[in-house]
Amino acid sequence: MNQSRRRQRKARRRVEAIGYLMSFPYVLHFLVFGAYPLAFAFILIFHRWNIYLPMKWIGLGNIRFLIHDALIWKALWNTFYFVLIHVPSQLVVALAFAALLNRHLRGRTLFRAIYFMPVVVSGVVITILWQQLYAQDTGLLNRALTAIGLPRIPWLTDYRLAMPSIALMATWKNVGLYIVLFLVGLQSIPRSLYEAAALDGASEWKQFWHITLPMLNPTILLVLILSTIGGFSLFVEPYIMTGGGPANSTLSGVLYLYKQAFFFNRMGYAATIGFFWAMMIFVVVLVQRKVVERDVG
Amino acid sequence: MRLGWLILIAVVLIAGCTTDRTGMPRADDHLTYWTSTNPQEMAFARLIVAEWNRQHPEAPIDWEPIPAGVSSEEVLLAAIASRTTPDLCSNIWPGALEQYIEARGLVRLDDFSDFFSVMRRRMPDEMLSRFRSRDGHYYQVPWKTNPIMMLYNVRMFREAGIDHPPRTYAELLAAGARLTRDRDGDGEIDQWLMGIDLQPVWYKRMFDFYPFYLAASQGQPLIADHRPVFENRAAVEVFRLFRELFRRGYVIRSMSYSDPFLLERVAIKPNVGPWSIADIERKRPGQLEYDVAPIPRPDDVPGPSITYGDYKNIVIFSTSRRPRAAWQFITFMISKRNDLRLLEMTEQLPIRQPLLADPLFGGFFRRQPKLIPFARQAFHTRGTDAVPELKEIFDAIAQEFEACALLGLKSPEQAVHDAARRSRLILSLR
Repeated sequence: MNQSRRRQRKARRRVEAIGYLMSFPYVLHFLVFGAYPLAFAFILIFHRWNIYLPMKWIGLGNIRFLIHDALIWKALWNTFYFVLIHVPSQLVVALAFAALLNRHLRGRTLFRAIYFMPVVVSGVVITILWQQLYAQDTGLLNRALTAIGLPRIPWLTDYRLAMPSIALMATWKNVGLYIVLFLVGLQSIPRSLYEAAALDGASEWKQFWHITLPMLNPTILLVLILSTIGGFSLFVEPYIMTGGGPANSTLSGVLYLYKQAFFFNRMGYAATIGFFWAMMIFVVVLVQRKVVERDVG
Repeated sequence: MRLGWLILIAVVLIAGCTTDRTGMPRADDHLTYWTSTNPQEMAFARLIVAEWNRQHPEAPIDWEPIPAGVSSEEVLLAAIASRTTPDLCSNIWPGALEQYIEARGLVRLDDFSDFFSVMRRRMPDEMLSRFRSRDGHYYQVPWKTNPIMMLYNVRMFREAGIDHPPRTYAELLAAGARLTRDRDGDGEIDQWLMGIDLQPVWYKRMFDFYPFYLAASQGQPLIADHRPVFENRAAVEVFRLFRELFRRGYVIRSMSYSDPFLLERVAIKPNVGPWSIADIERKRPGQLEYDVAPIPRPDDVPGPSITYGDYKNIVIFSTSRRPRAAWQFITFMISKRNDLRLLEMTEQLPIRQPLLADPLFGGFFRRQPKLIPFARQAFHTRGTDAVPELKEIFDAIAQEFEACALLGLKSPEQAVHDAARRSRLILSLR
């Protein structure tokens, strides 16, 4: 009896050991690439550190700097502006294309692949291509405009147009991913709901409004959250296309963080911006969840 | 057998990871000297190092160009942090010096007993004092200068009926009215008064805003006692001038890889140093007739025009095991004879007074008369202020310069006020 219990305990311990062993790589990865950088960044908030000199404790100096720093508030406004254009256009375009690709179209697999292509191509490559498209004198867009007798548009050189131009490009690049998400959502809606509605005489538009949209609520929320987080992480596009200009009109929070960290070597302040930014994303996503879940759900 | 292999691999790896303090394998008695990467300066380094090594076999020097990086300042800071600096380097921009000092990367040169006597042979005390660091000591040997001046197209000025280069803002704007025009009659402007680099990048403003500010303020600093002091009439006048030049369309806006001054599309290039003369001479089309003039100033500013000196100096790094030998090499490098070689090989001016009156240099200037105005200007130059946050302060100015001058979004007063306010904030975070 005792012997069999001992054997059982031994077997259980072996299973536990294997469990620990199997989770060890993840734990190690989390400690090295998650917990340690996060803890170090948190410590940095209270320090002045330029990499070359030892860290110097400055208490709340970085936070005070952030409060008085007009550029971080400008970057925050720019990011909201970007999100305001980018997220609704992303939602509408992705949903429209997903609804279209959900029908029995000829060659729809090919179209799905084509729309997904920009997602897998490097962001840098796409940004450089769009930079060429937007070029004032030699860009394809302006050449097309002048060919039909319209004036050139300063897509990236006018401080009023630069951010919408970037938002347009970002929508084009990311829409493929959200089309796929919406397609998955659309295909999980039971056909019987549409059949019952059709029998009751509901038009296609009414079916879309009263069945598709409510049933897609979780997907809409997911797309909303993902594209908002993506919007707050805006970096490659302004970094390559405008450098944050003209007149800081495309300076995003992450670009500003990068400049502070790797251009001016203000690691403490960059860490402060990082935490501030994470907080902003948290608040915005929280608000979105509440609003979307209440209104559509 | 397997253990033997493991030991061998470990030994090889450990040996491979071991370096001396400067990061490169070398004989113990050798000194390492990093020079700029431009071919003329490398040729100069090659020549003088060879001569030194012949005369001083007890302190041989190995020279090499500064390793490639985003900028030589970043390479040097990284080398200081990792203690892989050479013994000495001759491409030091004084604007970055305070950072090197803060990082305890440099040797205090006024500790050498003959420092002041060597320096006084090259320049007066007043000039030397401009290179003193915030702690009152000297960490750099002032070596060469490239005073920023204005090139103008003599033929274009003559054709416009202007007989001298603009000396004041009023003359500059008047010249703009005559020189900016449609040459081929197609209804579009194809000739402008001047061209500047439009990118809102901090160091670009060191070659337009800053020389104009120094000229307008008679050489006043931007930062004093760790406070911005540029919220003054001079800075506002410079912003107002550039805003007016852009508003009236006197500055070419299209960015091109070709130099519009060489193409004779602009009449003035306001940001050149003597180093560019050789380049212009090599590339200029036959008909281009140009001359050099000081930076224009507001109409009522007296005295000589002062400009940015764009100095490059020499330092000894604290990792050096033979700082005394490095110092002796520097004294050899900045001798009168080697200053002449520097001038002849690089066309950059040694920081030495008087330069024009010295018969040793007379022959060179007779052969290169275009460099005479630069040599005259060399004494009336300023460097940058000794603050580690200089890059950020110039970035603040560059952002406001763009908003005010290029885009016309702010008044000059507001833009200068905002740049000063941001500078105060930057300097407060210490």
